[in-house]
Amino acid sequence: MQRLRALFLAPARAVNLFLFIAPMAIVLAYSLLSRGIYGGVERPWTLESYGRLFDPLYGGILLRSFWISGLSTLVCLVLGFPMAMFIARSGARRNLYLNLVILPFWTSFLVRTYAWMFLLRDTGLINTFLQWTGVIHEPLPLLYNDGAVILGLVYGYLPFMVLPLYTTLEKLDKSLLEASADLGAKPWVTLTRVVIPLSAPGIRAGSILVFITCLGAYLTPDLLGGSKTVMIGNVIQNQFTSARDWPFGAAASLALMALVMVLLIVILRRDKEQLL
Amino acid sequence: MKRHALGMYAVLIYAFLHVPLLVLAVFSFNSSKFTVWRGFSLEWYRTAFRDSALVEASINSLIIALVASLLATVAGTVCAYGLWKRSAPVLSESLYLSLVTPEIVTGISLLALFQWMFRFLRIQLGMHTVILAHVAFSLAYVVIVVMARLRTFDPSLEEAAMDLGATEWQAFRRVTLPSILPGVIAAGLLAFTVSIDDYVITSMVAGVDSETLPMVIFQMARRGVSPVVNAISTIIVVVLGGLVLVSERIQR
Amino acid sequence: MNRRTFFLGVTGALAGCASRTAKRLNVMNWGDYVAPNTIAAFEREFQVRVRYATYENNEELFGKIMSGNSGWDVVFPTHNRIDPLRELGLIKPLNHARLSNLGNLFARFQNPLWDRNLAWSVPYMWTTSGIAYNRVKYPMAPVSWADLWRAEAKGKLTMLDDVDDVFGAALSKLGFLYNSANADELRKAQREIIAQKPLVRAYISTEARDQMVAGDVLIAETFATTAQLAIDGNADLAYVLPKEPYAAYCDCAVILNESRREELAHEFLNFALRPDINAEIAQTIRTATPNEKAFALLPQATQQSKTLYPNSDTLARAEWPLTLPPEIVRLRDRLWTEAKSA
Repeated sequence: MQRLRALFLAPARAVNLFLFIAPMAIVLAYSLLSRGIYGGVERPWTLESYGRLFDPLYGGILLRSFWISGLSTLVCLVLGFPMAMFIARSGARRNLYLNLVILPFWTSFLVRTYAWMFLLRDTGLINTFLQWTGVIHEPLPLLYNDGAVILGLVYGYLPFMVLPLYTTLEKLDKSLLEASADLGAKPWVTLTRVVIPLSAPGIRAGSILVFITCLGAYLTPDLLGGSKTVMIGNVIQNQFTSARDWPFGAAASLALMALVMVLLIVILRRDKEQLL
Repeated sequence: MKRHALGMYAVLIYAFLHVPLLVLAVFSFNSSKFTVWRGFSLEWYRTAFRDSALVEASINSLIIALVASLLATVAGTVCAYGLWKRSAPVLSESLYLSLVTPEIVTGISLLALFQWMFRFLRIQLGMHTVILAHVAFSLAYVVIVVMARLRTFDPSLEEAAMDLGATEWQAFRRVTLPSILPGVIAAGLLAFTVSIDDYVITSMVAGVDSETLPMVIFQMARRGVSPVVNAISTIIVVVLGGLVLVSERIQR
Repeated sequence: MNRRTFFLGVTGALAGCASRTAKRLNVMNWGDYVAPNTIAAFEREFQVRVRYATYENNEELFGKIMSGNSGWDVVFPTHNRIDPLRELGLIKPLNHARLSNLGNLFARFQNPLWDRNLAWSVPYMWTTSGIAYNRVKYPMAPVSWADLWRAEAKGKLTMLDDVDDVFGAALSKLGFLYNSANADELRKAQREIIAQKPLVRAYISTEARDQMVAGDVLIAETFATTAQLAIDGNADLAYVLPKEPYAAYCDCAVILNESRREELAHEFLNFALRPDINAEIAQTIRTATPNEKAFALLPQATQQSKTLYPNSDTLARAEWPLTLPPEIVRLRDRLWTEAKSA
């Protein structure tokens, strides 16, 4: 019994050890070294990179990333909750509806970001349509700003919010809703006092998932923000390209991961439902 | 009443999710380069198929996704089974951690690993490094999906089989596995889609002969609007969409 | 079980096909930097297979070849990256005996500042950084870098997504060197950049072309190549070089030290120096060529294009940026990040 189980766990253990733990250890080593002249790392060992993390410039960027990610998460929540409710109540066709939500997600993140670039440009479809109907006379600057970035993030990660919400809402005991109605509560009250509190685990799971993913984004702010929106992901990516400061990039990466872990522990601590 | 309102809301959200892709598809048939409809044309599709770099990148993407998803599915399925029998907190936490690591951090760490290893072994970045990277990040997805399926499986069936004289392995292979197979296949398809779509990690660990489709699309998209990108995108959407529908059928 | 074996077999066969043992050469170049037939012509003549990939900027190139074990043979860094590559031991010295066509270059490119006597590199194509604008919709013809700071440009202006070129424009506007290494001057330039930010629609490089043609963007800091391609697409556009110094860049072919196909690599460099080949490339990608014999083969309209080939007075103002010391690179990057997050 034990041997078979050990055998079964072996491949995953190996992959995890060699392709996750080991690389992370190397990143840790990098973060403690000094930058090479043209990139790369070299001795001496130093804590300098971690010291640089406390620079107010990066604090500001982190706050900005939090702001954009938080806003995106909120929009996802507001948009996704009614959607999840709809799917949870749709009876026999719920799998179909669920798949229709997931479908865009499984069709290339780049393509979807590109689709929005196509739509939001000054000479893109939205502006062309609005001008054609006479609503506006000059094209609106829809692209290359924070709003476009948030739109891109929401569009990309809405399914991440809908899925956990749906899972929780589906398991909701219908009799509780009936009881609430029997006691004279209006639908709105049932919603706010019964449904939402009971779906808290789903809300937490979905929000955390979306928030963390948005935090690490760098393609979306780059493409849809016209490089004017600097998020923490851009800073990290930059260290390994034009800035050529790998130790700092490594330190920032590990800091980001530590932050993510803390968030996870704090927010999901109470949820007994384990994914793994 | 409330149902109708909810239904209409759902329609709006579905529109939000799908219309951009539809627009891309429609304009991939536009004979003009710009957002003004000039007539139906398959020209961009022809250009896409004639572009040898594009075709080669597509083939690379397919090979990588097939091999990586296969490896990840096998490793992940047996791992999920092992975890289901009795939990292994360290492994679980570690897998979960790898799931929430930002992509850029994963990419950088793997690049660091490969570069460090290649100082001792005289090999280079290539298809093999990309495949390894893809197995690394899709493993956790597979484990989650198969675990979810395993939780709906009744363990007493296995016990019954063993009571009737089957070994553990036989019980797994003949009783459990067939029952969870739809979940395994769904996990494999998930790993496949995640692999085909990946840009960030792949671009960091790709080598001379391992340009993938997302890399080519990104290069083209950076140069501006190009209906060829629309055409490629439409093809991708249709193919991956088809896969999702297939997965749906299999799971029933 | 059956399906699995099949899959493995197919992937094995496909992988086998990919690594045919024909003579090979691995070339990595900027995107859109050859003519459609160039690579195929080389393959036919020398009976080799060329693996050809592209990159978008020097950093990407650096990232790929820095390990010294990347698998590439020939790459095309910009001229001010040649020194670092040489110092890191990443490139091979050239054997001029194998480069019979070197004489085809203009005299001034045969002994350039950045690589005396072309010991390490062969100039491939060159370009300048200047201002493109829409003559019809934005009739205030720019004459100076300061014109990129005008309030009228708000929302219709883009700058290059490159720390060196944005700082260069600001530094030059203030009367300093485009490629200044002075920390004080850099800080002053940063203040200019922050002041300009509200006017800037986006920091984009190649994407600007489409947007200029479509009319989304009316004035942009851009390279001559991008501008020429945009002008080809929309005759309302024009390109000017400001009255202050501007930057000129030359992309050069080098052979990586790790390459074990030195002979073939030299053949490729020599091939790219042929007048007919080089002229075809230059005409297709719309960049200026440093190759005199190739220039002679270009159509008259191109030869006379002031966008690509400024006259000698104008050219005298060009600065060919040289490599900056690492601390200055670090300072620039920090100032750039600060400016972009402001």
